[in-house]
Amino acid sequence: MFLDLEHLTMRFGGVVAVNDVTLSIGRGEIHGLIGPNGSGKTTIFNVVSGYYKPTSGKISFEGAQISGLPAHQITGRGFARTFQNLRLFKSMTVLDNVLVGMERHTKTSLWRAMLDPVATQREDKLLTEKAMSLLNLFGIAEFAHARATSLPYGNQRRVEMARALATDPKIVLLDEPASGLNETETDALRETLLKIRDSGVTIFIVEHDMKLVKSVCDSITVLDYGKKIAEGCYADVSRDQVVIEAYLGKEEDL
Amino acid sequence: MKNPSIIIKGVWVAIGTLALVAFPLVAPNRYVVHIVNMAGLYILLSLGLNLAMGYCGQINLALGAFWGVGAYTAALLNTHFGVPIWVNLPIGMVFAGVVGALIALPMLKVRSHYLALVTIGLAETINIILVNETWLTQGPLGISGIQMPTLFGIAIDGDERFYYLILTCVLIGFLVARQIVRHRIGRSFIAIRDDEVAAKAMGVNAAYYQILANSIAGVYCGAAGVLYAHLNTYISPDIFEFKSALYVLTMTLVGGMGSLAGSFVGGLGLPITQELLRGIGNWELVGYGIAIMLVVLFFPGGVIGITRRLQESSGIRWPWARKPTVEPSQLEEPNVSGP
Amino acid sequence: MNINTVSIFLQTIVGGIGIGSLYALVALGYSMQYRSMGLVNFAQGSIYMIGTYFGIIWYQGMVMGLQVPYPIAFLIGIVLNMGLGLILERIFRPLANLDLMLMLLGTIGLGYVLDNMAIITWGAEGFAVKSPLPNTPIIIGGVALLPQMLLLIGVSAILMVGLTVFLSKAKIGKAMRAAASDRETASAMGIPVNTTNAVSFAIGCGLAAAAGILAAPIVYVNPAMGGPVGLKGFAAFILGGAGSIPGAIVGGLVFGVLEAVSAGFVSSAYTKGIAFVVMVVVLMFRPGGIVGEVTVDKV
Repeated sequence: MFLDLEHLTMRFGGVVAVNDVTLSIGRGEIHGLIGPNGSGKTTIFNVVSGYYKPTSGKISFEGAQISGLPAHQITGRGFARTFQNLRLFKSMTVLDNVLVGMERHTKTSLWRAMLDPVATQREDKLLTEKAMSLLNLFGIAEFAHARATSLPYGNQRRVEMARALATDPKIVLLDEPASGLNETETDALRETLLKIRDSGVTIFIVEHDMKLVKSVCDSITVLDYGKKIAEGCYADVSRDQVVIEAYLGKEEDL
Repeated sequence: MKNPSIIIKGVWVAIGTLALVAFPLVAPNRYVVHIVNMAGLYILLSLGLNLAMGYCGQINLALGAFWGVGAYTAALLNTHFGVPIWVNLPIGMVFAGVVGALIALPMLKVRSHYLALVTIGLAETINIILVNETWLTQGPLGISGIQMPTLFGIAIDGDERFYYLILTCVLIGFLVARQIVRHRIGRSFIAIRDDEVAAKAMGVNAAYYQILANSIAGVYCGAAGVLYAHLNTYISPDIFEFKSALYVLTMTLVGGMGSLAGSFVGGLGLPITQELLRGIGNWELVGYGIAIMLVVLFFPGGVIGITRRLQESSGIRWPWARKPTVEPSQLEEPNVSGP
Repeated sequence: MNINTVSIFLQTIVGGIGIGSLYALVALGYSMQYRSMGLVNFAQGSIYMIGTYFGIIWYQGMVMGLQVPYPIAFLIGIVLNMGLGLILERIFRPLANLDLMLMLLGTIGLGYVLDNMAIITWGAEGFAVKSPLPNTPIIIGGVALLPQMLLLIGVSAILMVGLTVFLSKAKIGKAMRAAASDRETASAMGIPVNTTNAVSFAIGCGLAAAAGILAAPIVYVNPAMGGPVGLKGFAAFILGGAGSIPGAIVGGLVFGVLEAVSAGFVSSAYTKGIAFVVMVVVLMFRPGGIVGEVTVDKV
């Protein structure tokens, strides 16, 4: 498959945050990862994107093993992500935030920048154009020169997604993209997710908004206490007795 | 010319150039020129610190050690082998740059105040080597008899002539720093300072840039060290101590951390203010300390932070100011058609 | 190893523990302030120096010719320095939990003020202080020990135990611990966080004064005495694990012994260097200090 997690386990001291999870994501699909709070969803993201080395198990991407690589190299293989609690570069403008995402595609070295300012400017212009078109996709181009963290919450989420896509990823990991959004904003997010998927980028998404999950995800994995308890399409998973109990036990509705 | 702002800019540049070139000729005495020369060296040190700490967020109190490496490299090569400043300058810069990169290695593992301590420890260690390896450095006695440079047969033998050398180096140092800051390297530095985790997620190789930032700081301090050795013809370990790093840190913070102009304001302002206050004795230092506390408590952005605030509230644009960032309050309400 | 080297070794260790107690008390000052306000106070060395003067001037008869006995001078010094601490806490309250660079600079500014006020008030020249105890070494098992050194170690130990008990048993001590671990929750629970912070800061200053007055007869009292002690206290504070009370004690003792052993057996010239090198190495393997927890970066 495209992205495979095999028997992935992550322990912090005595706590087992992720317990022997195996899952596969196909190219071009939207794969949902759901489960009650504290079930290990974000930890899986952090392991996949290289912040934690898994205690055991392995992760392979396009057939090559990537577990244990440093975070920036994993990004280099075509991963991008957003964060549950926004992590924008706080002193930068919206545009600069997105330009950082393009870092791995820029070519001019420092020496070149000093000796050939014209070429540098040309490249800058090209990158800026690309960044602006991404901002346009998310409808936030007008804020390009505003400080990113001064935008309202919903727009900050959009900046984060634009920044993630700026790395030109093959797969993007979205950690609760709908949290804090109102209904209109969530509807717009749905459209964007489908647009991203149609442009050929695989999406791996953690989300609590079940309406959104139901309407966009091609397949779903359900976690509880770090263990995989179900997987399949939304219809199958939502009828699964174990899943219903896991959610009922936590007094959350599916 | 169609654009009046270009003319205004041109006038500013002309006035500035004239003032800079004429300064030693109109200065009241040699001592004043010497103070300004030292301020020039402090600007170089502060630019280095600013790139590493202000832009990349790398707390570095080992600055005095980089400075010492540059100065001792020049002093030893010159007194033993008669190597001129023109050769010492690149060698000293490379040496200090390498030391900067080496010091950055442990910095990758530790953070924040732990990092502050590690850099203090490394700086102290280098200083102790300077004091104790007397066969090489002559210990606390220092090294004297370093030659002042000559250029095309002209001896650069006094503060007035040395001024132009330092001026050139500071200008080059500033232009290079500006290019770094505007380049994607500067963007990556700021990304790492703002949020290292997110920077890595964007594919920024944080470790590489952190080493690079410290190495660049080393290069700047190395250059300042070589110039210092040849300007004063005598060096001793005490000026490369930890407290020198604190002094440079103070001027950078007072000027404005994370702003190249801040390095100029602090690097020029602090030594000159201290000279002006000399003679009042210890009360002067008490006032100096109180001033620092006031800056920290009320103007954490330093002098540059104050000018920025003034600029935003009054709408006046300084001739050298870049286009201000737009705050969303000035924009219309966001539309909700996007995602 | 013959009996002589053993006793020299023991003597070195005891000397190291003595100086280490001094570092530990100063490190505890850093720790108290760090726990409560998240403030790293780089003026701690100067506060230690001022505290020393606050006590010793009474003992030396420098105040209106009064000759105050050592134990009373000791207490006066501690109380005065705690008062200074209360004032300083009020000044530095806005810096609490801020950027490390700003704290560094702000407290360096304070250091300038204190150091130069000391020079203006008491002169730049220092003086030696006569020990209140006899100067003849006590010999225990072939190890010669200065009574003042034993006093320093003993009283430091009492203060450390006292502080630990205070923090775990006394009502305000418990409140301080609660405020240190979670400021928001603590203030929501009705703990007056500003008061507990002020008390923490004052205790930190009091400990520094105690350290200085105890060490005064061993070291030379002058306005520049704070610098190296402040730096080493900071090292001990970090080495033990920032904010940890046992960490500060362990860090101080380790640093003191390390220094004494390297001075006695390796090379006195490299004393400072070796201690710092060891410290850097320790931090490489335990980035959170000896006692401190190794924290995982939260993503």
